[in-house]
Amino acid sequence: MNLVLIFLIIIFSSSLFFYGRSKTKSLAISGNIKLNALPKFYGYYLVLWCSIPALVFLLIWSLFEPVIIKSIIIDTAAKQGAIFNDKNEANLVYEKIKAIHLGTYLGELDSILKESALAYAKFINIFTNSKVVLIFGIIIASTLYSLKKIKNNNKARDDVEVILKGLLFVSSLIAILTTLGIILSLLFESIKFFSVINIFDYLFGTNWSPQRAFVRDASSITPAEYQELKDAFGFVPLIAGTGFIAFLAMLVAVPVGLFSGIYMAEYASLRVRRFSKPVIEILAGIPTVVYGFFAALTVGPFFRQVGENFGLTVSSESALAAGLIMGIMIIPYVSSLSDDVINSVPQSLRDGSYAVGATKSETIKKVVIPAALPGIIGSILLAVSRAIGETMIVVMAAGLAANLTINPLESTTTITTQIVMILVGDQEFDSPKTQSAFALGLTLFIATLILNFIAQRAVKKYREKYD
Amino acid sequence: MNKVKIKSKNLNVHYGQKQALFDVNLDLNEKEVTALIGPSGCGKSTFIRCINRMNDVIDICKVTGNIEIDGVEVNDENLDVVSLRERVGMVFQKPNPFPKSIYENISYGPKIHGKGDTKSELDEIVENSLKKSALWEEVKDRLDEPGTSLSGGQQQRLCIARAISVNPEVILMDEPCSALDPIATAKIEELIDDLKKTYTIVIVTHSMAQAVRVSQKTGFFHLGKLIEVGKTEKIFKNPDNKMTQDYITGRFG
Repeated sequence: MNLVLIFLIIIFSSSLFFYGRSKTKSLAISGNIKLNALPKFYGYYLVLWCSIPALVFLLIWSLFEPVIIKSIIIDTAAKQGAIFNDKNEANLVYEKIKAIHLGTYLGELDSILKESALAYAKFINIFTNSKVVLIFGIIIASTLYSLKKIKNNNKARDDVEVILKGLLFVSSLIAILTTLGIILSLLFESIKFFSVINIFDYLFGTNWSPQRAFVRDASSITPAEYQELKDAFGFVPLIAGTGFIAFLAMLVAVPVGLFSGIYMAEYASLRVRRFSKPVIEILAGIPTVVYGFFAALTVGPFFRQVGENFGLTVSSESALAAGLIMGIMIIPYVSSLSDDVINSVPQSLRDGSYAVGATKSETIKKVVIPAALPGIIGSILLAVSRAIGETMIVVMAAGLAANLTINPLESTTTITTQIVMILVGDQEFDSPKTQSAFALGLTLFIATLILNFIAQRAVKKYREKYD
Repeated sequence: MNKVKIKSKNLNVHYGQKQALFDVNLDLNEKEVTALIGPSGCGKSTFIRCINRMNDVIDICKVTGNIEIDGVEVNDENLDVVSLRERVGMVFQKPNPFPKSIYENISYGPKIHGKGDTKSELDEIVENSLKKSALWEEVKDRLDEPGTSLSGGQQQRLCIARAISVNPEVILMDEPCSALDPIATAKIEELIDDLKKTYTIVIVTHSMAQAVRVSQKTGFFHLGKLIEVGKTEKIFKNPDNKMTQDYITGRFG
């Protein structure tokens, strides 16, 4: 129904474009007046005026219609004698009534439900009809209004400009509001979690085994149960594992990426650069899941084999394999960003260094790198936040056991891996286990936010350096 | 008349397909200031960049012909560029201090060349260089501040001090005052006058008044060719070439 309406609105309003254009053209010729804008702007003006009010109305209507109908139906059901103890029961009855209306209800029918279903059908009908009527009314009104405007030779070009500005503003508003919404939902679910588990038990606990909290209703935990629960949600092994794997990744990515960036910026000839820069950046285009099975199926077993040869026990899912592959994944970020910052060090500084007799490597070591250092640090921090947020590789290669270890040959786990494990499959949404995923998400978000903030500050400081 | 320090013979420079210098033959005298004048893009800067082989940095640049300093060929492939640049310092058009402290800006060169092993030796080099470039009084209390925090004129004198710090014989100046105001320019010119007692100086300039004020010898370049060279007085009062006459009287350029 709504789709048909939207389709009709769009067809009708686009056809008005041609009407508006030819109408103003003939107006200009017959009345011998100078138009305030090109004819096509009058066409755009009509299209925008005719479609936007109707579409906005339809959107708002569709948002509120179900809510209003629901409250009316629950009301009528209550009047007919249905008894609800709480909101959940009311919701259940409403869902039943809806199912009866759609013909998918399989349970027992009583008179209250039957009556309510009839009332529901009636209201749906009324709402749909009035929606259609109102929309047509709005279209007619706005079309008449805009037609009158263009007959009076309005400044259509400026008006279109204003409307477009409004549209752009709304789009950016949507982007900001969704981000805000996501953060808020993270926050609220985390608050629920922290109302069950003390935040200090979470932040400083050293044991992570959320499966112990499975099927426990968060609202009815006894103090005795809490004692048992509180050390199931220790955050320390996860942040340690995350940091450890990120550290291993940086051990690979920083030297290789930085050196390749220096080579690209300072030594590579134009031809080499033109060829190899895209090749390195292809690394960044490989989906992380591909890196993941490379890590899990090739590198992990390889390390175990090598370890066995040296008489070491290496877990087939090891922090080392995950860190190594993640480091390889991050190389292009470090290399490409540091290449850019090194390139933006002014040539005059290099000239100044050469002019006192420094060699190329001395110049790079003592002038170029120090000058580019804040930018390089910024690029490394961006890469770290990328490493911390990375999921697929660690899920596949690092293992699931939350070991608190600094042995790279053992398996370990990260925040992102645990979020995946907690939310895979059917979950009860009021169990602390599920809610802990949101708390983890929030912590991760804050951690990467801080890193990004520091990185951007560093990059900004670097930009101000020479001027 | 001082003896000849730098001698170029049939010097040609190409940037890719484009020829920038044509058979330049020019002698520069020791402990004198030689000014190179001419319209933009005439090859003055290209010429002085040949003297310390700064053109090596540019991939497409090809230099043929000879330049000798004290009779030693500069364009020799086996010549050690590092020690050449130690002997031939350079100051650029735009002040380009390193984003380091004032002290480190000066001590950079000596450290690279292994001069001034002890802190006190290094301190002495820094102090002397800054004194020679007439900057010491202004900065002696804030040697730890970044060189970039100085004013434009001070930055340029810092760059001159940096060039002096490795104790060169020749100082090349590529329009050293073009980014400076008249007061800073006057200071630099005064400094150049002072420096010529110790160093051989080559200065590229767009200001003919500056050439008259600071130089003893002037060379006029046009479209990559050295049109005329001679005593500054003669070039500006009574040039042999019609084109030089037109340029210095402002008929073109």
